[in-house]
Amino acid sequence: MTEMLKVTVDRQSPLAVIYTEGYINNQGGEEIARVAYDLIDSDHKILLLNLRGTKIVNSIGISILIEIIEKMLEIEGQLAFCNLTPTIEKTFHIMGLAQYAKIFPDEEVALGELSA
Amino acid sequence: MNQPATSLENRLTWEDVLAAAAHRQGERSFLLRLVQYFCQQNGLGAAALYSKSEQGYERRVTAGAESFPALIREGEEPPFASLSLPEGLLLYRSTVEPAADLEGPLVLALSSTLRAAELQQRLKLQSFAINYRGVELEALYDVGLAIASMLNLDQLGEEILLRAFSLLDARRGALYLRSGERYLLDHTLGGDAREELPLDDPQIEALLSSEKLSDQDLLPGGQYLMAVPIGSNGTPQGLIIVADKESRHGVGPFPDVDRRRLLLFANQVAIALETAHLHRQALEKERLERELDLAAEIQRRLLPTAFPRIEGFEIAGWSRPARHVGGDYYDLLRLPDSRVAAVLADVSGKGLPAALMVSTIHSALRLLLSQTEIGPALVHRLNNHIAESSAPNKFITLLLAALDPKRGEITYVNAGHNPGLLVRPTGEVVELEAGGLPLGLFDNSPYQAGSVKLDPGDLVCIYSDGITEATSLRDEEFGLTRLVELLREVHDRALPEIITTVDGAVTDFAAGQSQGDDQTVVLLRRAA
Repeated sequence: MTEMLKVTVDRQSPLAVIYTEGYINNQGGEEIARVAYDLIDSDHKILLLNLRGTKIVNSIGISILIEIIEKMLEIEGQLAFCNLTPTIEKTFHIMGLAQYAKIFPDEEVALGELSA
Repeated sequence: MNQPATSLENRLTWEDVLAAAAHRQGERSFLLRLVQYFCQQNGLGAAALYSKSEQGYERRVTAGAESFPALIREGEEPPFASLSLPEGLLLYRSTVEPAADLEGPLVLALSSTLRAAELQQRLKLQSFAINYRGVELEALYDVGLAIASMLNLDQLGEEILLRAFSLLDARRGALYLRSGERYLLDHTLGGDAREELPLDDPQIEALLSSEKLSDQDLLPGGQYLMAVPIGSNGTPQGLIIVADKESRHGVGPFPDVDRRRLLLFANQVAIALETAHLHRQALEKERLERELDLAAEIQRRLLPTAFPRIEGFEIAGWSRPARHVGGDYYDLLRLPDSRVAAVLADVSGKGLPAALMVSTIHSALRLLLSQTEIGPALVHRLNNHIAESSAPNKFITLLLAALDPKRGEITYVNAGHNPGLLVRPTGEVVELEAGGLPLGLFDNSPYQAGSVKLDPGDLVCIYSDGITEATSLRDEEFGLTRLVELLREVHDRALPEIITTVDGAVTDFAAGQSQGDDQTVVLLRRAA
């Protein structure tokens, strides 16, 4: 795992997929938030966070993800997750993220539902 | 984190501000609209509202295009004009002083909404902390199950570190596992770590005793280190080292509660590692057993499944290995001119090495029998072959005999094996001793052949020392005398019955005592 989270984006207006690779901690969370807010500014109201390259999220990372969810609710947009490890998925449920953000098993299923 | 600022271009009415209060994420939106409205009413270019925090003042919302700092530390001079509020601070950019009355309704609304937002934020943080405590408890509970079921040691190492990171908000760390007199780096996350550490490394001892390290090269670049041992009995099985606890404002040291948490976690890890080691050993044992089963199957196929039928003579053989694969080998082969070869060999040692030698002698003997008459020359060549192809401390005893049914005679060479027994109906016993040293001991060992005439009813018994050296519970050997007496008693019965009788007598004698040697018997009798 590298020190910095690697984030890439696939823009499919109005939906955008954010791919992460690495540790979602303070730095990683800030990077995701930066990318997410840029996408919001460019009118992407549906964001799918594909965590296929992420095995670990810490509490700071979670708090930043919650802020992004709050922001999405504020603009009446939607944030969703896919490809979570079982441990991360369980954490998201306990932390309440799953109440406000949908969790999909993989990107194909997510895109199918979010694009509908 | 820079949240997007909100434009002041659109003019707001008081109704717009109130409408924001009804929004489902109301407090922030309401605050923002209030600040925007405040800017409009006072002709400000931009403003940011700050709430009090432990560090100083944290920015909550920004209205207008200006870059306000996220945090203004306690005692720090604000970089913009500011207005103190009962619950916070308002920074603004303007050439004129705001006209707002500090006792006026707009400022009161700002203050009370900020207060409400603060209370909501505190509630949210407390709720977050409670939920995250749930995650930590779940992690501690779950980790034992998860990593205990993960039996691959490579995956296990990574999983251990990932979970430790998640549990403690660590930025970097390393897992070391003990190997002899040192700890070897198993996994590292977030940066480099030293490849190995002596068990008595002073830095490790200092870390384990909670001392702070200012100059260290364990995790280069790591500022705040914490280490705990894996396993608490005696020398640890390994170490978990983590560094730099994260917060929203950077990294800092781990509090004492984190050390206790990590120790608890490390105890679970110790159990998981032990389970994984045992599993690996079990797999290795299983693999060896599969190999032994295969070797045993190969060896079984070397033994005859049917015996040559010769008019006027009966032939039978039987062998029981002490382990999966043994060192005894026997064969009964038809030779040209109606003759039959009988061989019984006993390889020193047991298990796979012995089985390999059995395979060697089987091939060599079959080849030589097709080229050479049974006698000293054949055994001489066999000896040299075995001496060349086997380890120096390995040898084979062998009794090779050729039965000529026409002449009613056996010619044999005994290479250091127990003498075969010729039991006559009269009770007379002749030992087949002529030969030489066991095979493989010395190159060019001399051998001589012996021969005996078989009269009707004469029984020849070739056996391995697993029969005569079978031991009882009192550590007494079955012995040659008992075998001879038994053979005298049953010499006229059917050969399979004689074998069953010998086996039964030896088994009864051993009384369930596990025998360390293979047991083999070859019988040959001239019809009465």
